[in-house]
Amino acid sequence: MTTPEQDQEFVTLVSGDGYEFILPRSTACISKTLRMMFDPLSKFSEALTGRCVLENISGEVLEKVCEYLCYNEKNKDQVNVPDMEIPPELCLELLMAADYLDV
Amino acid sequence: MDPTLDPPLPPPPRRIHHRASPTRRRDHYQNNHNHHYRLTATATARSRCDDRSSQPSSDPAFFSSDDVPGSGGLENYTAGSAAGAGAGAGAATHTAHQHHHHASGAGGLAGTRKRRYRGTWWGEKMMSSGGHQPQGQEGAKRNKRVDWREKRLVDSGVWMGSDDSLAGGFLGSDASWGEEVWGQFVGEGEGKGEGVDGKGIGIGIGIGIGRRGEEGERMFDEPREHQIARAIVNDCLERGDDSVDLSGGNLRSIPSGLLRPLQHLTKLPAIKEPPVTEDVYTSLEPFLRLFLAGNALPKLCGELFELDTLRVLSLRNNKLTEIPAAIRRLTMLQEVNLSVNRLRSLPWELLWLIRKGDLKHLTVRPNPLLQIDDGAHDPEAAVAEWHVPREELRSCVYEGPAPEQAWAPVHVATGPVRRYNAEGVLLLPPAGSSSQPVGTAMELDAPSDTDPDPDTNPQDRPCPTPLPPAASRVPSLREVALLSLTRSPSFDLLSDAELAGYPALMLRLLRDAREVRAAGGRSCSVCHRGFVLARTEWIEWWDCSTYENGLKGPRPSGEGLRPLPFRRLGCSWGCVPGAEI
Repeated sequence: MTTPEQDQEFVTLVSGDGYEFILPRSTACISKTLRMMFDPLSKFSEALTGRCVLENISGEVLEKVCEYLCYNEKNKDQVNVPDMEIPPELCLELLMAADYLDV
Repeated sequence: MDPTLDPPLPPPPRRIHHRASPTRRRDHYQNNHNHHYRLTATATARSRCDDRSSQPSSDPAFFSSDDVPGSGGLENYTAGSAAGAGAGAGAATHTAHQHHHHASGAGGLAGTRKRRYRGTWWGEKMMSSGGHQPQGQEGAKRNKRVDWREKRLVDSGVWMGSDDSLAGGFLGSDASWGEEVWGQFVGEGEGKGEGVDGKGIGIGIGIGIGRRGEEGERMFDEPREHQIARAIVNDCLERGDDSVDLSGGNLRSIPSGLLRPLQHLTKLPAIKEPPVTEDVYTSLEPFLRLFLAGNALPKLCGELFELDTLRVLSLRNNKLTEIPAAIRRLTMLQEVNLSVNRLRSLPWELLWLIRKGDLKHLTVRPNPLLQIDDGAHDPEAAVAEWHVPREELRSCVYEGPAPEQAWAPVHVATGPVRRYNAEGVLLLPPAGSSSQPVGTAMELDAPSDTDPDPDTNPQDRPCPTPLPPAASRVPSLREVALLSLTRSPSFDLLSDAELAGYPALMLRLLRDAREVRAAGGRSCSVCHRGFVLARTEWIEWWDCSTYENGLKGPRPSGEGLRPLPFRRLGCSWGCVPGAEI
């Protein structure tokens, strides 16, 4: 999928308020939106720099999103998937983020 | 003085209250003398009626600061005790002596009048001295039990100033004082009613008041049929009747809070009269039966499924289109009647109750249920896999005693699996949503790499089917968030107006989540994880004819099977027929 010169192992997600989260590319690409952004064939600037600024997602929510992406990556082959705890106050924002990131 | 009538008392309190009432001194003296004799004669039979005759119409103000330090109450008491028949002589002795002392000898204290106490410091009780008589109605009927309550009141500190007015009002005859409290409550407003509650004077009455209060509030805006239903439920609760008949009540919905109290229904013992024989000993565990037949219920509320002791449930003749999966929580159900509704399929959980639970009698016909023969016309009724030979559709042939499989439910066939994407949109059929999957069954084996565009309306476009190479069981982030939302109590507080601010797609998800929450939640029929948006759905056809006739007999040898459609939902694409858990 990736061409050799752009085959970065990690990508950086930046929240609207400036927090940076560095994830393995494969983990971030669970999100279909991020996968398209980081698709090297797309020639998006995100794909070239490996850095994606998500203006409309706050650091707190993005942290939870990254936690989910890791949780998904870790459990993708599991039969008994443990539950992931979400604080109720983040639910709606997280739902918006999930909608945007398509996860 | 009869020492046997009063229990021995601990030493009296130091604190003696006095009241300035010079004009009534003589009266009191006589009055108390009179009282003294009465007490001497009967020791416990205190009458207020006699005293009342000599009372003025109202009391002067009384303050605890009226104490006069020099009154020597303690000495008086000691003298009284010494002079009396010992500790066992009780309060009658104390008080009588105090008053002798006071009236005849305590010249320096002219104009004061003692309030007398009886009992321990922690439960000090005012003697029924004349000045504190309620000019009341029920005074004559006071008895020991009521005295005890007054003791509590006097001790509380909150009631010191007003003990006359209120205590006199509600400390009435024993048999009817609950009613009087209620009357008082109504008359004096909620504040005092709560006060009565808060004092803990009889928890049963407290609860009674609370419930009546709530009812009172509801009465204003509730439709009449709801009021009647509540009255029936309350009546059952009060009589300990475990057969709750709400049938034919024109209910269009089950009002909230109607059924929840039935969780705590307790039967009353049947023994009323002394001749106790063996057969009056019955279990007090309620055999809870709920009859909602002949109403107009379009759907069921989650509250119904909190009645985990429910044994019999009748929903006959309603307008139900779906039985929520939460029925699985009613694990003690033995008999269910769902006939004459609008059900096209049954929840898988009913079959679970038959196989793993206690359900013995399931009445589902008539209903517009899917028919297994209709597969050609109705894609929902299509069959992907037969588990018995299609041509046969007969139960096992046996001779002699019926084997196990002549009783057990028979898995006849399994329908095709429908898949939903993470947004709850049915994949590939041209139209449809998670709640009302319609349309034709499509081939699901055409994987495509194009991703659905989240911006277009899912109703307007066919969804391509991106079947993952290995179906993961990890819930989507949407699902995780929605599930957490449905489990949080704050979800109910979200108003429709607030919801309207969200994008249309989210709005749909939130509405779905709200419905799921209202119906009592869902759990995956494969892995039992709780979920909101189903990702897979299929019909399994099972023959339960033995359970349909209440396990009266096994299937006759070689009898034709009449399979029922049970709808199964899965929480992930990994949860499909035959998936390992």
